[in-house]
Amino acid sequence: MADTEDAGASSVSEPLDLVRLSLDEIVFVKLRGDRELKGRLHAYDSHCNLVLGDVEETIYVVEEDDNEQETTRVSETTAIPLVSTRPGC
Amino acid sequence: MSFFGFDTTLPRDRDRGPEATRGFFENPDPFAQVAQATALEDDDAIDFEDTYDGLGDQLDDDQDEFNDDTFGGGPNIKPVGKDFDFFGRTAQVADAIGEEQVRYSLQHPQAAREPLQPNVQTPAQPATISTAATSKRTGYEKYEDPGYIPDLQAKSSVWGISQKKPTEPAASRKMMSLEEVEAQMRQHGQSAPNVPAQRLPQPLADPSYPIHPQHLPTLPDGFPPIPPEFLQAQLENGALPPQMPPPPPGVPELYGGPGQLPPGVPLHHLQNANFPPQNMPPTGSRHVGPQPAQRQQQVPPPATRGAQSGMPVITTPQQLMHLTEEQRNAYLIEDAKRAKRNHKIFLLSRGNGLMTPQDKNFITRIQLQQLVAAAGNVADSDPEAVLAEDFYYQVYSQIRGAPRQHPHQPLGHFAQTYLLQTGNRLGGHGSRRAFHSADNHMQRMQQQVQRAVEAAKAKPKNKQLIIEGSLGKISFSNAKAPKPMLNIKRPDSADGAKPKKLQSDLSLSDRKSILTNLESVYNALMSMEDMERTMPPPPEEGDAEAIQEHMEWRQKVHSLNQQLWRALKVMEPIVPSSTTPHPFIALLSYPKGKKAIPRIFRHIDQEQRVTILTMIVVHLDSLDVVRLAQPVPGEAQPSLAVREAIDLFSLAIMPSLLGYVNEAPFNIIIGLLGLVIAQTHVQTVARTKVGLGILTMLLSRAEIVKEAGQASERDWQQWVEKFNVLFDTLEPALNDIFPGSINSGDDMYVWQFLAAVGIGASPEQQQRLVIAVKDRVMETVTYSKTLPADMASQRLGNVNLFMRAIGLDVELLG
Amino acid sequence: MLFFSFFKTLTNQTVTIELKNDIRIRGILKSVDQYLNIKLDDVEVLDLDKYPHLSSVKNMFIRGSVVRYVMLPRSEVDVGLLEDATRREAANQAGKAR
Repeated sequence: MADTEDAGASSVSEPLDLVRLSLDEIVFVKLRGDRELKGRLHAYDSHCNLVLGDVEETIYVVEEDDNEQETTRVSETTAIPLVSTRPGC
Repeated sequence: MSFFGFDTTLPRDRDRGPEATRGFFENPDPFAQVAQATALEDDDAIDFEDTYDGLGDQLDDDQDEFNDDTFGGGPNIKPVGKDFDFFGRTAQVADAIGEEQVRYSLQHPQAAREPLQPNVQTPAQPATISTAATSKRTGYEKYEDPGYIPDLQAKSSVWGISQKKPTEPAASRKMMSLEEVEAQMRQHGQSAPNVPAQRLPQPLADPSYPIHPQHLPTLPDGFPPIPPEFLQAQLENGALPPQMPPPPPGVPELYGGPGQLPPGVPLHHLQNANFPPQNMPPTGSRHVGPQPAQRQQQVPPPATRGAQSGMPVITTPQQLMHLTEEQRNAYLIEDAKRAKRNHKIFLLSRGNGLMTPQDKNFITRIQLQQLVAAAGNVADSDPEAVLAEDFYYQVYSQIRGAPRQHPHQPLGHFAQTYLLQTGNRLGGHGSRRAFHSADNHMQRMQQQVQRAVEAAKAKPKNKQLIIEGSLGKISFSNAKAPKPMLNIKRPDSADGAKPKKLQSDLSLSDRKSILTNLESVYNALMSMEDMERTMPPPPEEGDAEAIQEHMEWRQKVHSLNQQLWRALKVMEPIVPSSTTPHPFIALLSYPKGKKAIPRIFRHIDQEQRVTILTMIVVHLDSLDVVRLAQPVPGEAQPSLAVREAIDLFSLAIMPSLLGYVNEAPFNIIIGLLGLVIAQTHVQTVARTKVGLGILTMLLSRAEIVKEAGQASERDWQQWVEKFNVLFDTLEPALNDIFPGSINSGDDMYVWQFLAAVGIGASPEQQQRLVIAVKDRVMETVTYSKTLPADMASQRLGNVNLFMRAIGLDVELLG
Repeated sequence: MLFFSFFKTLTNQTVTIELKNDIRIRGILKSVDQYLNIKLDDVEVLDLDKYPHLSSVKNMFIRGSVVRYVMLPRSEVDVGLLEDATRREAANQAGKAR
């Protein structure tokens, strides 16, 4: 392609460039401690701090006395939580 | 051994021989004998006879006859009284002493090279002399001496000018001076008529009140003060003492020399005029800033001051006595002011001479640097760098008016850029402002339709409907047709029922490439916004450099524009019946794609805008907001996500399109309507809010152009032909274009569309239109009666927009 | 510096912080630093019955590394601008890496 100017920051050359593609898109984030977040990605940085909007948090809790069946507790937040853990990167 | 070298050894340790340590000095203990003696004698008392040296016996005890005269006593004692006056007597000879001093100082001018505090309470003659003497000097002499350290001590003399508080000069003073004692004694012992006369001169001779040595610049330190009587005598004689020579020729004389002092000018003005060169050597002041202010203070216009005080020159306390009470008070007040000012000057001048001009320059540079650094970021003062590191905070603060840390940055333009991007900024999902703004868009559309309706009503229906159809079919593809550059391949069937497949999901790779394109769009967009911020000022004629700069800037902007345009993929060929949407349309299916449109529209030209509009119109039925918004049986409205997409489209894209359409030439409008009819499934388009919105846009614009008389007959025929096709296509579906049931609310856009159709319709078409929607009209009228007043009037208002477009009114329906 | 920049705009706003030990604290964000350490005023611990020892704490300093979430007032965030800021940050990082 003749788009020489696209060779810069917009080309996907690093893992975080993929994250950039998901800006303003709904993303799933897997966290430590069996947590998952689903929300719209508004910001991230090189430490994988994230700002998510309209987030839904899911925590998977294993109930031992229930034949090891997984039950999930889902807590939703309507604000924009910032996730400052390092989820997967 | 003791630290002080005393022998602290006990007597029992003492006789060890010469090798024993004798202390710090190898001397015998001077007290050893005494200690031994006391140790030997038990009796501590010292006998007088043991210590008396007998010198008293040698005294001559005769010639005591005058003892009584001297010490009092004796057979016939007269009380001595307390009215002795040593001071007064001394003053009588003081004339001579003062003359001696003056003469000395004239003969030894170098003796006067003391830091001068030419304060005010200086008697007339010495002050004049000092003027003459000091005018030869530059004030820099001291600094030639490398070892010189300027006198940094506060000088009590600066307080000495106040006559108001003569008895409290030095706070620490306990001892009274001779004259004070005498005065007090006289006050107690005698009647008091002349007490003030005696009291006033007191401070002048007060030893703890060292005015004269410092005030008389011509007197070297250590000389006794000039007695006031001497000075008074000089003044009262009205002449200078004979031994006082006039100032040397060539020396500028202030106020005409000592003999011709203007009577109203207090002497201290002379000295003040003399003050700066003495006390303010340019090399000497530490206070760079205060200097000018100081000078102003020091040189008040003498005439003003003289007139202000309007008083004779007061040089001695005795003179004060002869003044009236008012004059004296005025004088004292004046004097106090002067004292205050001089004190201030003194305080400011304390650091004189501490720094050289080079030092000061250096400090100034440091301060300036700090100013720059403090105003900017600590690390970098480059606003662009700060912006790069702190973009969100800086722009956000600017937009929301929060206090900024670095308010000097040229962000105005930049924040303006963002503020203008209302579509982008307000496009938050579920944000209340977004809905509010969407309402604004609807209102604008409403206004446009209303304008069209009003315009149509102003003129009765023209006769064109009659001639309609008598003309032959006019080809769409004439020279005025928009965008021949668009590579549109017409589908085989042009009847509006296109066999085009509606795409559902995109493959993963498509999604990634689309998102990559979108990020390229944003890259280009932000670069262009940065360029806008760094636009050089318009070059002036003849300024080749500025013109060159401007050209380069334009070149950059153009290349960025091309970059943006490529990233948008607008010019990708349109492949009919493709299973994948056009790349540009795919961009628009993402929220950030929609949000980018208003920003993009600010940076592209009209041709690019019409190209985008054309692309959207051609692909109306494959837009996500049309494709996914088709009413589903059993569901009142589309899903939340789709509704959000529709709101975002209405909010971000529609205003941009409307902004263009409102200025578009008629042939473009005709061409676009033709594209809708030819390229899209009109009934599908019409069943959605966005689709109807775009149709309304085109129809109302055409009506406005026509009513404004801007449409040529030939163009209008073309338009009517398209319109008829549209009408015929839509008529069977008119009942389906309403969203959901009557009570679902938001059907305003439908009435807007019907109104726009109604204006352009022939009477016969209007009739068909009424038949098609009359049920809905009646339902709405009935339903609105069950609503609260404001909601009812809103609903009826929507209906009435349509009714009036066809010359009716809901009022007529009862 | 993006998140530092971001949080600076949220000073004096009420936020809720969830720590990695599950304690949730609501308070006014007084200041933040580049490590995203946070100073909270007027704090209120949400599950106070679980953490009675925190009942008398009125303000606190929270080390950034122990924070799991910070929940922010939606109205105080300009998401469009934030996304652009993120793009710029990403470009800056790429520029620095090169």
